[in-house]
Amino acid sequence: MLEACDISVTLGRKQVLHGAGLKAEPGAMTVIVGPNGSGKTTLLRAITGDLACRGSVTLDRQDMHALPPHALAERRAVLPQASVLAFPFTVLEVVRLGLTGRIALRPDAAQLPTRALERVGLAGYGGRFFQELSGGEQARAQLARVLLQVWEPVQDGTPRWLFLDEPVAALDIGHQLQVMQLARRFAQDGGGVIAVMHDLNLTAMFADRVVLMLDGRVLAQGTVQEVLTDQNLSRAYGCRLRVSSPPAQGATYILPQAAEMA
Amino acid sequence: MVALPWGRSAGRGATADRVTGDRSGRARLTILALVVFVMLAAIASLGTGAAGVSLGDVLVKWLSGEVLSVRDRVVLFDIRLPRLLTGMLVGASLAVSGAVMQGLFRNPLADPGIVGVGAGAGLGAVLAIVLGAFLPPAILAVAGMHLVPLAAFFGGWATTLILYRVSTRAGRTSVATMLLAGIALGALSGALTGILVYIADDQQLRDLTFWGLGSLAGASWAKLAAAAPIMVLALLVAPMLARALNGLALGEGAAAHLGIAVQRMKNLAILTVAAATGAAVAVSGGIGFIGIVVPHLLRLVMGPDHRFLLPAAALLGAGLLLLADIISRLIIAPAELPIGIVTAVLGGPVFLWILLRRRGIVDM
Repeated sequence: MLEACDISVTLGRKQVLHGAGLKAEPGAMTVIVGPNGSGKTTLLRAITGDLACRGSVTLDRQDMHALPPHALAERRAVLPQASVLAFPFTVLEVVRLGLTGRIALRPDAAQLPTRALERVGLAGYGGRFFQELSGGEQARAQLARVLLQVWEPVQDGTPRWLFLDEPVAALDIGHQLQVMQLARRFAQDGGGVIAVMHDLNLTAMFADRVVLMLDGRVLAQGTVQEVLTDQNLSRAYGCRLRVSSPPAQGATYILPQAAEMA
Repeated sequence: MVALPWGRSAGRGATADRVTGDRSGRARLTILALVVFVMLAAIASLGTGAAGVSLGDVLVKWLSGEVLSVRDRVVLFDIRLPRLLTGMLVGASLAVSGAVMQGLFRNPLADPGIVGVGAGAGLGAVLAIVLGAFLPPAILAVAGMHLVPLAAFFGGWATTLILYRVSTRAGRTSVATMLLAGIALGALSGALTGILVYIADDQQLRDLTFWGLGSLAGASWAKLAAAAPIMVLALLVAPMLARALNGLALGEGAAAHLGIAVQRMKNLAILTVAAATGAAVAVSGGIGFIGIVVPHLLRLVMGPDHRFLLPAAALLGAGLLLLADIISRLIIAPAELPIGIVTAVLGGPVFLWILLRRRGIVDM
């Protein structure tokens, strides 16, 4: 289990997080949502160790930030938001960077980068230059690299984790669904997933647990039905939103058309 | 310029690695070819010189069991061989420190010569030559003959640290800031070096003049013994940085998430650059453009994977410096041109071509 307690982050002179915390279980997909500037990405970056923070982050009751980098890399992989690559690597070479730690010792290690590319729908893209890809393709190539790093969701009985910062922001709807399904399958196979998302409908479709943030604090966390309520969403997003569910499946959706602007 | 099948403007070539994106096979072949290139350049270098001693003649004599003349032996073993080894080590050091620095700064334009590290190392060397006598005897005893290369190393190290602090914020290097800070640091080092030249005595001035020519002409076993251990150490450490530099290409955060101890690796990279540049500058003065041209050409051929790029840069740097040295000995023979002039004449236009090619995609 991953537990972040009482996380506070100050960027420059502004305190961005005020004692935020979350709990996430392996085998489930935990999604952090909230309006712009609510501190979603900051919370994720504090958990991954990208940002210095006060508070504690524990993985199976171990202080996560005390683990040395190579040990941490065996336990979790992190998909950043769009990043600039310094040199002209091919897509395959970028993905292959994820071949690190014990995964690199597998006998079929040489084939894994290609398989990772197939998983994210980029089969045949290995020879292209990363910088020549579109934003969405770059995002999926990075996802392939990250998936490769934690190729088996459970290694020797220990669940591994995926941290995804807006994994579908640059993608079209087909690839959004594909990537969300990949993340869900990783969780179903026993791994843990924590994702920052903008899209409430995809969140409602795929999340097992939702953490709703507002102004650097956690407003609510729990199941989709518990958190994505009219009251919570209207308060968080500053406009009256109505949660609906199609009668057949009982799933949750939020239509912007149904919102009443204040 | 030839349209390379893997270049930006190239069409979709049908070579195998164009399809799979795996250039490691090509990289291994390149390294193999470079080994042959260095060996050929070394043989040519041994056979070239003002004395007119031909390598073939010497070999024939040696194979037929004839005793070599004293002159032949002196020319070959006391003049050309130390010069050959110095040239190889200096070329390898300059090229590798360029490649490491470019990886560290995440930018193909970072080069110890361009951003003032060479000038800083030069200041360290001149400090040691002019003021070394005033150092405490204990330090002099420990440093011994390594004093000048060690001082050059510290000069290069201090410059690299300042440069990195000034131009890098939160893991992102601003190219403009890096280049401008490099100009400032280079000018400052140059000015301080100028002051030292003023206060130097006649003997020191002679040392400075020979050293400052940027030449391998003064190569000797003694000089080589002083600088070689530092260069060899830096060349042996560099491959250990390869994985970290590959990770850094994704950004510092991503490198850390891949399990790389980023801060430690960055410190090691800075030390390696300073050691390689410092020792090279101490032994041969300022030799420009090797550090930027060699890694760039290699990236075109085999891609930027540092596991292959670093050894290949060492080889191509060594071979190219030997070639430049041969040219410097032949072009106005029996006199010789300082090698720094040769590398600048050859490397300057290539550097400009790199700038033209990259214009627009360099993230300033």
